[in-house]
Amino acid sequence: MRNRLLNVAVVLIALLASAGAAFPQTYGTSGYAPGAWKPEELPKELSRPKPFNAHDLSGVWSSPTRAGYFERHSLNDKWIDTKDRKVPPQMRSDASPPPMTDWGKAKFEANKVSYGPRAVEPELNNDPVSQCEPLGYPRDLWEANLRPFEFIQTPDRILQHMQYHDVWRTIWTDARALPKDPDPAWYGYAVGHWDGDTFVVESIGYDDRTWIDHFGNPHSDQMRLVERYQRVDKDTLKLDMTLTDPKTYTKPWVAETITFVSAKAAIFEEICSPSEEHRFNDKIRDTPAKESKR
Amino acid sequence: MRLPLAASLVFTVACLIASVPVAAHHGTGVAYQPDKMITLKGTVTEWIWSNPHCGLLFDVTDDQGNVEHWGAELGNPHLLSAAGFSKDVLKPGDKITVTGHPSKSGAPRLEFNQVMLSDGRKLTTKGFKGNGEQADTDYEGR
Repeated sequence: MRNRLLNVAVVLIALLASAGAAFPQTYGTSGYAPGAWKPEELPKELSRPKPFNAHDLSGVWSSPTRAGYFERHSLNDKWIDTKDRKVPPQMRSDASPPPMTDWGKAKFEANKVSYGPRAVEPELNNDPVSQCEPLGYPRDLWEANLRPFEFIQTPDRILQHMQYHDVWRTIWTDARALPKDPDPAWYGYAVGHWDGDTFVVESIGYDDRTWIDHFGNPHSDQMRLVERYQRVDKDTLKLDMTLTDPKTYTKPWVAETITFVSAKAAIFEEICSPSEEHRFNDKIRDTPAKESKR
Repeated sequence: MRLPLAASLVFTVACLIASVPVAAHHGTGVAYQPDKMITLKGTVTEWIWSNPHCGLLFDVTDDQGNVEHWGAELGNPHLLSAAGFSKDVLKPGDKITVTGHPSKSGAPRLEFNQVMLSDGRKLTTKGFKGNGEQADTDYEGR
């Protein structure tokens, strides 16, 4: 009997060991970073799996990229069906917000974009990101198709570290309520709590100078977001978001469920440097107008 | 394959008349022709390694000795590092062959696709995401 138990134990240990080898990436990242640490420069333990815990959102998250995948650029995206190859990819999608108020419409019309059906030449847009101005939230989240974000959990808050612009969004989990009348902030004010296996984030207090997305959809300082995150398995994070902003939209904007997958590379510093961006624009993007002056 | 110098001059003059450009822009794709690709041989004049975009400036000389100043837009340094680039992979004077999508306007600018270095090595951003991870091969890194 004892031998039999021993055999079972050996088999179990072997199974666990092989499972570990089959899933070298468990919690987001092995820490390598192109341009800095190569995978072979890091301790092997970093890529060992950790036990799955639905209440641990930590890790680096990115939009999946695969052939034909429709990248998410807003709460929802609508594919503009065109077979015209001359229509560049940036113009082949659009968001479908709820009907806007007159205030919202005026703000939307004033936003000149270089994506979607209203796209103008980059020289003519007034997109805040073109000046390395803050992206704000939720717009920074849509960058996850190129630039991931990570969650870092501490006893009293969850930090959402956005690669693009290197922003740290604080989600307080110490049972405080949202502030009653906060000064506007680029990334707002957020509190979170667990509802079963779902992490619910409520936020307000957003500065109305940011756009919701690169299609130029606006928001006011009355915007309120409710985000519901669920780690459904070790490599998948689901997000349901509802945006309510009665000054801008006539009804809540309920997002289609957004999926993020764990990324292998670590977050790296991607600060949008105004001087570097101006140099790039000056030397590359603005050149047609400049060259004639030579 | 090279766009005529005169065409870009016409465009730049038209640009000056028609608009007062505001500084800085995103939405590169709208300015280039995704269905066209051109290849140019030239000499590096400047390699811009910066966030959030990198750039390559190079001179192209035609049979008559006329020099045209070209430039190419590339993605962020993280993506480029993953794709084998580095801050010193290119330097002024290097002979290169560059492939990319030409601008709609006819201005001597490209949306970068590939470069062949003077040692014959080819580097492309195709297939890399902005977070430095490899994507599917048909994904145009940006």
